[in-house]
Formats: sequence, structure tokens, C-alpha cells
Amino acid sequence: MASNISGLGPQKNGLSRRRFLSAAAAGVTAGSVADMTAIHGLRSEALASELKKQNKRVILLWLAGGASQFETWDPKPGAKTGGPFRAIPTNVTGIHISELLPELAKRMQHTAIIRSLNTKIADHGTGAALMECGRVGDPGVKYPDIGAVVARELGRLESKVPDYVSLYTSTEGRRKGTSGFLGARYSPMFLSESMTPPNIVRPDIISEIDHHDRAALRDVLAKRFTTARRNQAVDSHMSAYQRVHGLMASADLFDIEREPESVRNRYGSSQFAQQCLIARRLVEADVPFVKVARAWWDSHGQNFETHQELCADLDHSMSVLLDDLSERGLLEHTLVITLGEFGRTPGINASLGRDHFASAWSCSLSGAGIRGGVAYGKTDDEGQRVVEGEASAGDLFATILAALGIDHQHEYMLGSRPIPLADFGTNPIRDVLA
Amino acid sequence: MMPSDESAAEPQVAAPPAMPQSVKVEKTFGLPAIGFCVTQGEAATTLFAGMSDFAVHRIDLAAEKIEAVPIGQERHSSYVTGLVRAGDNLVSGGYDGALIWWNMASGEVIRRVESAHSKWVRMLAVSPDASRIASVADDMTTRLWDASSGDLVATWGDYETKTPHDFPSMLYAVTISPDGRWLATGDKTGIVLVRDLATGEIAARLETPIMYTWDPKARRHSIGGIRSLAFSSDSTLLAVGGMGKVGNIDHLEGSSRVEVFRWQEKVRLYEIEDNKLKGLVEALRFGPGDAWLAAAGGDNSGFVTIYRMDDGKLAAQEKVGSHVHDFAFGQSPDTIYTVGHNQATILKLA
Amino acid sequence: MRVALMHLLLRFAFISVSSLAFTGAQAQELLSPNTEVAVAVDHYIAEKLQSRSIEPRPVADDATVLRRTMLDLAGRVPTAKEYQWYFEQPETVRRDMLVDRLMQSSDFDFHLRNSLDELLLANRPNDGEFREYLLWAVRQKRPWDQMFRDMLTARQADGAEKGAVQFVSSRVRDLDDLTNDTAMLFFGVNVSCAKCHDHPLVEAWKQDHFYGMQAFFKRTFITRKNVISEKPFGEVKFKTTEGEEKSATLMFLNGSVAEDKTPKFADDERKQLEQQIQKLERDENAGYVISASFSPRRELAELAIRDDKERFLAKNIVNRTWLRLMGLGLVDPPDQMHEANPASHPELLDWLTRDFVASGYDLRRLIRGIALSQAYARSSEWPADETPPAASTYAFATTKALTPRQLAASLMVVIRSPDNWPSPEDSVAWNKLRNDLENQAGGWTREFEQPGENFQIAVDEALFFSNNDRITKDLLRDGGDRIVGKLKSIEDNSQAVDQLWVTVLNRKPSDEEIQTATDWIERENIDRVESLRSLTWALLASPELRFNH
Repeated sequence: MASNISGLGPQKNGLSRRRFLSAAAAGVTAGSVADMTAIHGLRSEALASELKKQNKRVILLWLAGGASQFETWDPKPGAKTGGPFRAIPTNVTGIHISELLPELAKRMQHTAIIRSLNTKIADHGTGAALMECGRVGDPGVKYPDIGAVVARELGRLESKVPDYVSLYTSTEGRRKGTSGFLGARYSPMFLSESMTPPNIVRPDIISEIDHHDRAALRDVLAKRFTTARRNQAVDSHMSAYQRVHGLMASADLFDIEREPESVRNRYGSSQFAQQCLIARRLVEADVPFVKVARAWWDSHGQNFETHQELCADLDHSMSVLLDDLSERGLLEHTLVITLGEFGRTPGINASLGRDHFASAWSCSLSGAGIRGGVAYGKTDDEGQRVVEGEASAGDLFATILAALGIDHQHEYMLGSRPIPLADFGTNPIRDVLA
Repeated sequence: MMPSDESAAEPQVAAPPAMPQSVKVEKTFGLPAIGFCVTQGEAATTLFAGMSDFAVHRIDLAAEKIEAVPIGQERHSSYVTGLVRAGDNLVSGGYDGALIWWNMASGEVIRRVESAHSKWVRMLAVSPDASRIASVADDMTTRLWDASSGDLVATWGDYETKTPHDFPSMLYAVTISPDGRWLATGDKTGIVLVRDLATGEIAARLETPIMYTWDPKARRHSIGGIRSLAFSSDSTLLAVGGMGKVGNIDHLEGSSRVEVFRWQEKVRLYEIEDNKLKGLVEALRFGPGDAWLAAAGGDNSGFVTIYRMDDGKLAAQEKVGSHVHDFAFGQSPDTIYTVGHNQATILKLA
Repeated sequence: MRVALMHLLLRFAFISVSSLAFTGAQAQELLSPNTEVAVAVDHYIAEKLQSRSIEPRPVADDATVLRRTMLDLAGRVPTAKEYQWYFEQPETVRRDMLVDRLMQSSDFDFHLRNSLDELLLANRPNDGEFREYLLWAVRQKRPWDQMFRDMLTARQADGAEKGAVQFVSSRVRDLDDLTNDTAMLFFGVNVSCAKCHDHPLVEAWKQDHFYGMQAFFKRTFITRKNVISEKPFGEVKFKTTEGEEKSATLMFLNGSVAEDKTPKFADDERKQLEQQIQKLERDENAGYVISASFSPRRELAELAIRDDKERFLAKNIVNRTWLRLMGLGLVDPPDQMHEANPASHPELLDWLTRDFVASGYDLRRLIRGIALSQAYARSSEWPADETPPAASTYAFATTKALTPRQLAASLMVVIRSPDNWPSPEDSVAWNKLRNDLENQAGGWTREFEQPGENFQIAVDEALFFSNNDRITKDLLRDGGDRIVGKLKSIEDNSQAVDQLWVTVLNRKPSDEEIQTATDWIERENIDRVESLRSLTWALLASPELRFNH
């Protein structure tokens, strides 16, 4: 360890700041590459490099609490269960959506609607876990969620930016997301309290150069310990510290003040829209997976009033996002998923609410890898059950992976146990894929 | 408002008690859909109701089996949420933005104003002489219509179209004073405007901000709004109905809330919250002589509550099976007819 | 069904099916029960190493053994004064003295409580009453079988044991969770695989076992007033893979069945009781309680304690205690104790289990025995240019990530000026401070993640150490009560470095480290205090502090 240093400068006094730093850095780099390889040894390198070229990214608009399919993608005007809203035509002949989404109706060429989800689980926690991970939990295995899987499959090891960012600023139903057995390397950078990630900005009492120098010193002193103790946890400690300055450099990505005023005005004052703008900045900077949660759609009372508010927010925010991505040429590389943990009951309760319902509901996929202007699957006249194209959470998971060019049957090895990316027996919905 | 002793001194067979000691459900019957609005027909035994099946229904209370039967062949194209009687006609309004004039007896449509409002019509009111119909809608305008010609007489704005939190606002409630001079409206954020019906000039602006709950952190949307309004018979009192502050805005779990104003003096006379039977106060009517005020509404279940107007306290209360959206007095106000979630009830005051 | 079965076959394909019976060797082949625990441990570990011709690492140096033992028994690193005390003790007995001292200390009680809490209520809303119960039980030296009985059968009203009910009440809303967690955490058996069909590879596990376990919990419910109660009737029905409808018997994992002493209820009586139970579940003012004369949960507790064949209850906690101290369970993973996944050292597990039962389920005796073994004290280093043998040989010590509580408490210890801690001889002063330390540490734990299988340190933690104000402005203050303040007062840089290393890393610095560190402090034009601060930071953020090695 110290040989790197003692060979370079004066033995006692007068080792300059710069020289100490460069000496320190020289002592660390070689070790770090090996460490990263060790951590990422699971992945097929050939596959990874092929995917990197395609440069795909994902923005997940998470409609937390469960949006109503009747008031969004699968309107049933006139049915006893249909509620008061009209269906409106979209710019794709034959596809009608709720009148609450007039702007999105003008942009259906980007979007495939899936109207035939039957995911069965209608409680928030378990339902969210199911939709996030594409399979039912298992006491023996902690499965990674879609964000962690995409981060791992599409992220670059040497990336300076985070590879999974999750924004969830409301408190109800807040979920951070989980990297499961993929480990903390793929845990989301989680923004819950503010629009800036925690601890990403240098404390003001230490200068930038001192902050870097001190990190270099840490690396030098750590080496004696790590060299003789190679295991995943120890290696992860080293690589976590090596990512610090890269991530700190990405702090500006979260600062929408850096956008021209015209762009900011276009997104407007809605917090959700502003978070969509952050998401666009992040994917533009090659962050592979960004989740923006919009809570809370759980309209047990006053479903129609709630959806007038929340659909207005969704319609505006998602439309601006699609336009902005499209104008920048990013939409062909970026998959926008609009999804929650379940839909809402056909029955309208006495509080004019709709309750939890997972047997026949909808989501949408837009952009990269998606055949736009498609409405896939069908529910019956009252929206009580799926009558065509039934899809499970696992099928949706497989579809998302397929849209990104990731083999959904590719297997992770957990010990010597193979675990396919999408659950056994699931299939991508080919009709919605480009 | 002091109770009137004179009215109590004139006993009538069907008159309600000066101060009801009780209100009891006499009969409950099913509706084929959600009843949003109700008004009495010419006969004491006929009710009309606007419902979620897009139709206006006639309910014959004298029938052996009470049923709601759609009138005529025509329909709104969404929920029917406003219904008033003007002479021999009914006028209905709905979430389709349309107003329809019906011949009450035949169910024939006399007139359809398809785009009376550009958004949901929430409620209608009729002037005491039945010459004017007022409508309020989520386009945040109040419109005044000639009841016989159907002509648009006036359009008044003066409401913010968005809530302070940048969501579309809603204009839920309207009423016209018994002397025909004043029109009051109430919106989602708790703003009441009282206008001179003749000139449209705003005579008073009142606020009931507690009726609007914005949840900035947990769920980030809102619930509530002014859902009902009523003038006293001398037009000096204005009662405003809604719901108190709500913790979990997924549910109608706020206290049912009534504020009573001496509106010309801008004095809030009573603030009444009922924590026992909760939810929105969807309809309000003063009793004879303004001695009491009837309020109805609910969360999942419904209620009818009688408040004394000498002290603002609860006089009588009854739980009704499911959420009540509107009620009408019978020809004598000892009878209350409610309509609501797939159900209607007849209640008696004693 | 075909898909699900394939899934399961793949799931268990990695387990090499052994012909060895799970129970391992016969009792008479085991070492004498009079053998000391540590001696037995080393006997069996050495036997296997020799049979594979593996040369294990030597016992680690004294400073490392001190730190490791402190972390595992006291839940924190030693203070500089404890470090000094250790080296003042006669070399041949200092380990024994240390272990025996620690086991008398409040540190030990807190740490064992925390470890059991992490095991039993992990990732669930932390309940103060459960932690209070555990601390009470640990201080009482309550035997494990009794603690198990407390947790399974406690009711809210039962005095000091009442907090124990949280194990059940935190899971009562999900019958599968309650069944699986009880089976995994107390018996080391994950039966969820047997829910849909008999276990494909573990012949002994049938659907009857899963539903049998479930039957013990089926009647448990929680009233609107959050009181755990049991219904007087209620049974589990399930469909076998052949489609046959079956009623589950009250069957424990070893096949023993509890006699069902449910009284007979007339139909209308049953109906009335059902209504009363419904009201209890919904109405907080129900104003009555239901008490069942027959309690299936109590039957489960008794069956498990009486189980002298498989000894699931004892074997599981022995294995989990071993895992906690040694970094890898004798059975790994610890919830797969079945014949297809034999222990790495079956005789050792059997010997320890037998000893544990004979000692009256005494966790302390077990912990002490393992902590005094040679195997426990080995060096965790392995030459970088050689491939180490499998961790399950225990040829070297596992490097273990600290739990959030260990890390937080250790940080609180090392950032104080060493002068501010009492002498290790002054147990009264220490016990008082230890209480404060426990509370202080509690305020930091949520910044760190609980280590589990395949644990990795998240970049969030590196960012936290690098940029959070609590680190820079609180821990690294240069006030006289802080380590940086203490270093500031030491004029000689080498001595300051020595003090820093002993305080934070609990060892003397090497010559090279002294050189690097003094070079750092003596850089041109940089304030000495700032250099001491950044040097201290570099050690706080080091892997050496982060791990138990």
C-alpha cells in the first residue's frame, strides 16, 4: 500500500496536496477494475455489450394506489359500471379512451394500451410487489424489481450517473423499490423528501479538493484490509465509495432550474410534471431506469372527483414528457411505462368510489420497442372480466424486457440455482412490440 | 334566528312539529341506480328523480310496489344530477352539460339545450315564481335560464377555474332565496357568492375553507367542497353544507359540516360538525318558520339530521341505509323523501 | 401445475442429495457430553480440515480477537481503555477473562436482545414492547424453550412476558406469514414449498406438514382492540394435488400430532360465537372476550419442546447462533434444515444440540463455548494470490458486515475522546453509559442496512459518510469530547496516529501506515486540525471499521 506513496515524494514533510492525491489514485485503480468484475461476474458479458449499444432507457410512471381503468384506458360509457365520463376518440382510428385524457388521446401513435391485465392480487403492498417484480414473492428468495433488473441489464459498470433513480415524494404507500438478490449495487437512488437525492452535495465546510483528497486517502488506507479479504460484501464497500464522486457530479441532473424557462413553463407547476422533467434529464444523461411515483389514486370515496384531479395531472405530465422525449429523439430509446398496483372495481360504491380490483385492468407502454397505436386485449361490456388476451404480471414483465431487447428467459444464477428474469411460464405480449 | 311561536300556535293535521323530536325511516325502497336529485311532482304521491342511468324517473308512492320508472324515451348522456319543477314542466341537468325540459305529465321532451355548460352540470335551482332556472357546472359558471322559453338570460363567472393547487375546480351548489331576490352558489374550495338575481351583482362573498381538504403530503390531491346551500324563508340566513377536514382523503371520513350565516352581515352564526354520522352534507332545507334545518348526506351510509336554529344544536337524527344525495320535503314538511345510492327512503318527523 | 413443478425442481437442483441421514451420527459416536463446548467445536472442525488436508489459518492476533469478540458479544468495538486493559492481562488467560467479563456486562444483554430482535421481528414495525420483553428475558437468563413458549402463547395481559405476543400479533393478519415465519425462524424449516404439493425433493415434507403447521394458527385472530385471541373452533381444509379435499390435522414437522380437544358446539351455538367473534374483530367497544378452552398454539409450543427426535427447536437456534458468530451456518441456508441439505459438520451440530438441550436451552453457554474456540478466533485473511477453501470448512474466519446497531454503537464509541470513557473496571459507570449508548445508536441505525444473504454495501451509505452533516459536523467535531479534539491535543504526530488507530481500528498502526498518516498530517499549507479530521474520516469510512473481521 504505502509503497506507492513513499516512492514518490519526500518522506516526511512537504508532500504536496496534488502529488499525494495522484499517488494515492495510482495505488487504487488497478484493484478496482478487478473488484467490479467480481461483483458483476454473474452477467453474460457478450449480452451486456450488445445491449449497451442499443442504449435503451425506461421511465416508469407509477400510479400509486391504483388508477381506475374506466377513467383512463378502458372506458365503458353507458354501462352501469361505466361512471359518468365519456369516451373520446384518439388520433388512432378505433381507439377510444376516457375524456379525462384529452392530450394523451392526441398522442396514441406512441402508445400501446394493455386492457387485459388479470393480476389477481388486490391489496396495495402485495399487489405493488407483484407488479414491481413480475412474480409472487417467495419466502426463500428476494426478487429484484423491474428497476433493478433494468439497471443491471442496461447500466454501464463504469457509469458516472446513477442507474436506478426512484422518486416518491408523497408518503402514502411509499415504496423505495428493491434490488433483491442483485444486491445493493442496484438499489435505487431514492428521493422521498426532496427533489434532490440525499447526501449528494458536498458539505459546505469542506472544499472540493479536500473532499477528493480525503477519499483518495481512504482508498489507500483501505487497501491493506481488502487485499486479503475478498468477498462480495467487502468488494461492494470499495465500489460504493468509488461511485461517490461520479454520483455527486450528477447532482445537477436533479436541478430543473438548469432547464430553459420555456421548457420549465411547458412542464408547469405540477410536482409530478416537474419530476417527469427530472426523469427526462436523467434519461438524457443515460440513466437507464427512472421511476416517478404519483400517489395516491386509492379512490374508495369520490372516485370521479379524484380522477378529475389526478387524470388531469397525468394527462398533462405524460403528454409533455412524451412530446419532449420525442422532440429530442429520445422516445425511440426510452420506454415509458404507466402502471400501478391494480385497477378499480366496476362497481361504484355508496361513496361514489371504486375499490381495489385486479381481475381486469389496464396499463400502457409508450416509446422504445413498442408498437404504438395499439389497444391490446379486451374486457367484457361492464369491465368485470377479461375476455380477450389475458395477461399476468409476469407477462407484462416479460413484455417490458422484450421491448428493451432483453431476453426475458435469460437466467441469473443464485448460487447454482437458475432464476429467469421473467417468471417461469410467462410470455411477452408480441402484439404490442414493435 | 328565533323560533317562531306563531307557527306552532296554528295546528294543522299534516303540519310538522314546530321542533321535531324525532325523525324516523318509515319506508325504504330500492332504486335501479344512484339517485342524485329529487323533486316533488304535482301530486303529493309523485316524486321525480335524476339518476346515474342517465334518465329522469317517476316514482309513484301510492303504488303497491314502489318503483322508479324512467319518463319518456329520451336520456341524458351521463348522470342526471340536477332536477327542478317549473310549473307543469321538469328541467333536468346532467354531467353531459345538457339541460332538458320535460313535460311532467307525458315525459315528452320539450326542449334540449345540448351544451348548456361545457362541463358537468352539478345542480339546478328554480325561482319561487318558477320563471327562472339557475344552473351551476364545473365550467365554473352560473347560468340563468328563462324557464318557459329556455333562453339563456345571464352567465356569471367570478370563480377560479382551478383550485389553489392547480387542479380543475368544481362548482357544486346553487340555490335561490324564497323571496326570489338572491342566488347563492358554492364551489369546491369553499367560496360562496350571493348575487342579486336581477342584476347579477355580487352582494356577498363568504368563505367556508374547512370544507375543502388539500392533502399536500400523503396523497397529494383534494376532497370536499360546498355540496349544498339553503336560504331561510325570510332569506336572511344562508346554510352551507359540506364536510369537515378529512384525515385520509381516500374516504368520506370527515365530520358532516354545516355553517349557517347571516349572510348580509357576513356573520357566521353556527358552525356545526357531526362526528358521529360522517360525510358530506349533500342537501339542506329549512323547516317552516325557520325553526329548524334539515340536512342529509353521508359517507357510505347516509343520514338525515335536524338542527335547531335557536342554538344550532342537533334536534333529531336518523341513519339511512346508504349515502343520501338529495332530499325533498313532502307537501307538508313532516315528510322527507331521500334519494341516494340505489335506494330511496321516506322519513317522518315527529 | 407442470410449470410450477419444474420451477420447484430447478429451485432445488442445486442441493446435492446426500444419502446421509439428516440426523447424522448416532449419539454414542459423539464426543462425551462432558467435553467442553469449545473443545468439541475444535475437534469436529479440525477433523474435517484434516480429512481434506486443509491447513487452516492461525489464530488471529490479540487485537483482532479482542475486537471480534467485543463485536459479537457486546455489539460494539472496544474503547481504547478496554484495549489497554486487554493487553495488561496475562496472555494465556486474557481471552477467557474477556469472554467471562463480557457475559456479565449490560453490553451482552443489549446485544443478545438486539440480535434476537433482528432475527424474530426483522423488517417489521419495531415494537418497543417486544424489545422490552427480549431484554427482560435475556437479563433473566430465560431458557430458549421458555422464550419460545412465551412468544407462541403469550397474551397481552401476562405481565413481563406480554411483549412476547408481538411475534404473533405482527403477523396475525397473514396466516401464511405466521405459519412460514414460525417454521423458518424457530424450526429452521421453510415449508412454504409444500403448500401446493408435497415437497419434490425432501421426501419427508408433505402438504400435510404445511397445512398441519397452519392448523395451529388458523384460530388465532386479533380483535379490533389489538388483542391476540384464539377462536374456540376452526380448521384448515386443503386440496391435495390429486384434488382430494382434506382437513389438516394438528401435525408438527416431526410428524407428531396433537390431540384435537376442541369441544363440540351445537350449530346455533357456533353461529352465535361466530357473530361474537366478528364483532370483536370489528368493534372496539365489544366489551367481552372469548377464551377458548383448547389452544392449538399452546399445543404447538408443547409438541416442539417435547420433540426429542428431530429437535427442530434446539437445532435451529444452535445453527442460527453459530451463523451469527461464525458468519456461516452449519446448515446453510439456515431455513433449509432437511435431509437434502445436510450440515457441513453434522456431528458437531448434533453434539451442540444435545449439549444445548442438556444445559436447559442455555444460550449463554452455547455462545461462550463457540466464542472460546480456536475456530472462532482464526485470522480472516487469506493470501491474495491463493484461492481460499470453501467458507464451510471454517479454515479462516468469515469477514462479516456489521449490523446497523453494531455499526452505530461502534461509531458512537470511536468518535468520542478515549479519555471520556470510564475504566473497564468501573462497571457501574459503564452500565449507565451503555444505556445512553444504546439510545444514541438507535438514532443512527436507519442509515444502514441489515446484512443478509448476498449482502452488499449500498452507495447510499458511502454518500452518507461522504456528505452527511451528521458525520462532518457532529462525529468529526474537534471539541474536547471528540476523538479529533483529543488528537489535536497530542503534539507528536506519530503519537496522534497511534492514538487514532487504537481508538478507531482497535489496533496499532503499521510502520507504513504511520508514514502515510504523518505525511498526510504534514502536508504543506494545510491546517493540522483539518488534516486530523480528514484522516479520522478516512478511518471511519474504512472497510476495516465497517466489517467484523
